[in-house]
Amino acid sequence: MSSAIETQLLVKHYTPEIKAVDGIDIDVPHGSIFGFLGANGSGKTTTVRMLTTLLRPTGGSARVDGLDIVKDAAQVRQTVGVALQEVSLDDIQTGRELLTLQSRLYGVPGSQIKERVERLLGLVDLSDAADRLLKTYSGGMKRRLDLAAALVHEPKIVFLDEPTTGLDPISREAIWREIEGLNKSEGVTFFLTTQYMEEADRLTDRVAIIDAGRIIAEGSPTELKASIGTDVITVGISGGPEDVGKAQQTLAQLDGTTDVRAVGDSVVVYIRDGSTVIPRVVTLLNEASVQMEEITLKRPTLDDVFLRATGHHMEAEEPQQTAEGGAA
Amino acid sequence: MNFAYATYYLTTRSLRETFRQPGVEVSNLFIPIFFFFVTVGALGGVAAGAFEIENYRGFALPVAVLQGAAGAASSGGLGMVTDIERGYFDKLMLSPAPRLSLVLGRLVADGVRVTILAIVISTVALIFGAGMETGPGGFLILILMSGAFGFTYSGIGMAIALKTGSPQAAQVGFLVFFPLLFLSPAFAPKEFFEGWLQFLATINPVTYILEAQRSLVLDGWEWEKLGYSAAAIAGFGAFTLTLTMLALRTRTA
Repeated sequence: MSSAIETQLLVKHYTPEIKAVDGIDIDVPHGSIFGFLGANGSGKTTTVRMLTTLLRPTGGSARVDGLDIVKDAAQVRQTVGVALQEVSLDDIQTGRELLTLQSRLYGVPGSQIKERVERLLGLVDLSDAADRLLKTYSGGMKRRLDLAAALVHEPKIVFLDEPTTGLDPISREAIWREIEGLNKSEGVTFFLTTQYMEEADRLTDRVAIIDAGRIIAEGSPTELKASIGTDVITVGISGGPEDVGKAQQTLAQLDGTTDVRAVGDSVVVYIRDGSTVIPRVVTLLNEASVQMEEITLKRPTLDDVFLRATGHHMEAEEPQQTAEGGAA
Repeated sequence: MNFAYATYYLTTRSLRETFRQPGVEVSNLFIPIFFFFVTVGALGGVAAGAFEIENYRGFALPVAVLQGAAGAASSGGLGMVTDIERGYFDKLMLSPAPRLSLVLGRLVADGVRVTILAIVISTVALIFGAGMETGPGGFLILILMSGAFGFTYSGIGMAIALKTGSPQAAQVGFLVFFPLLFLSPAFAPKEFFEGWLQFLATINPVTYILEAQRSLVLDGWEWEKLGYSAAAIAGFGAFTLTLTMLALRTRTA
């Protein structure tokens, strides 16, 4: 059986300089949840728009459920469900009207529409608000309705572009449960993009990290974290850039480090058995008269995988919502 | 998805939008009726002497109707821009509905809106004594012709909306409308025009629609004029629909 989603060197260059997506190879098996992790502007959304036929690629090829995204675009549209990043709804319809129209456009038989719309409204917990105009919906309600709209034709492959960006933790949890439920009970394949490590960690079977239009790491969240192979010690430096440089040099002398990096006002040390090394870190930095603010030790998170691969942190819109991992 | 069904449901949705925001149509109604009374008030008295037109109210009726038609059709492009800005148009593009029906859903709805406006505007003009030489049958043809013109005219705003996604640019449809309507025998028969204006009026499709409608009001059944009008609407429609579909294609580039 062919893969649910398969791309070969998929490319979208707007101009020779603007390479939104620059040669992406992915292979998503049926029944899995695949995460595409990257910051704003990394190429996630462009990839989704190509795979869902909203944008024509400028190079490479891609198949969704065995269908070519360019040649078989019409069939691809009938096959997949999509909820885009910007909630794409029409304010002057009611929730029920929107789902009904959506069902009709996807060719759901007329006799089944009423019941299916009712069931989907129940699934996303919007039965009570079904007959209100969408302009009265909150962000979380719109997002849930958008998810329901992606499911009217019972697709086996669903694309969700940042399904929980900007949502409060409760709405986020609700969306996560729906995704997990559909994946487990109906075997729906999900391709979701996110800028939240926690989301990728919680939901996905496999993650590809994308930066500047290229995939820079791929694997299961566990594999990716294990690939770091060490603990992560982060030292916050209050003495300014000179102290940061001094600290980096000093800590590079530690035995057993695999990498020492300066990131903003901090120095990040990748090292085995981090807990036994901390006293030594403090001593060394004191001797070097570096002013420290804080020291944290943690198991590697996807953020560390991202940092290791790109040299910078991922800039999520709401940093307080990103995973901080388990502190030591 | 069946083309006719998709178009029907999308048209229904566009019309629902209109009925839920009726305020938009107020100016489309007010401006042509206002102009009707002002031009009739200003020129009605001298028209008989100057242009040999006894019934200037009847002469002005089609101008008011077409002005309303073009005004309403111009705001059709705005509806499309709103869909694009809200992202709802992406949702429609993601559906398997035929591409042509995504556009026709709005154009047909605009045709219906214009038809309703034409009925109201011409009824007001009739109440104030415009008259209708061809009777109820002629009235029906005049209304249908206006609706068809609205449908084709709306394509200009729609093409601009699809190409640019910009509300400001979509308003340009309204700017195209003024030259089209007033480079025609809107205020006086074109025999009285200077040469350059007569030439422009002759190549302007709106002239033929206007003259056909005027013949229905003032003169009786003149099949040749009605035929020219049908050809003008068909030709203009083919042009604007082609523009619209070309603009739609650029959205996936």
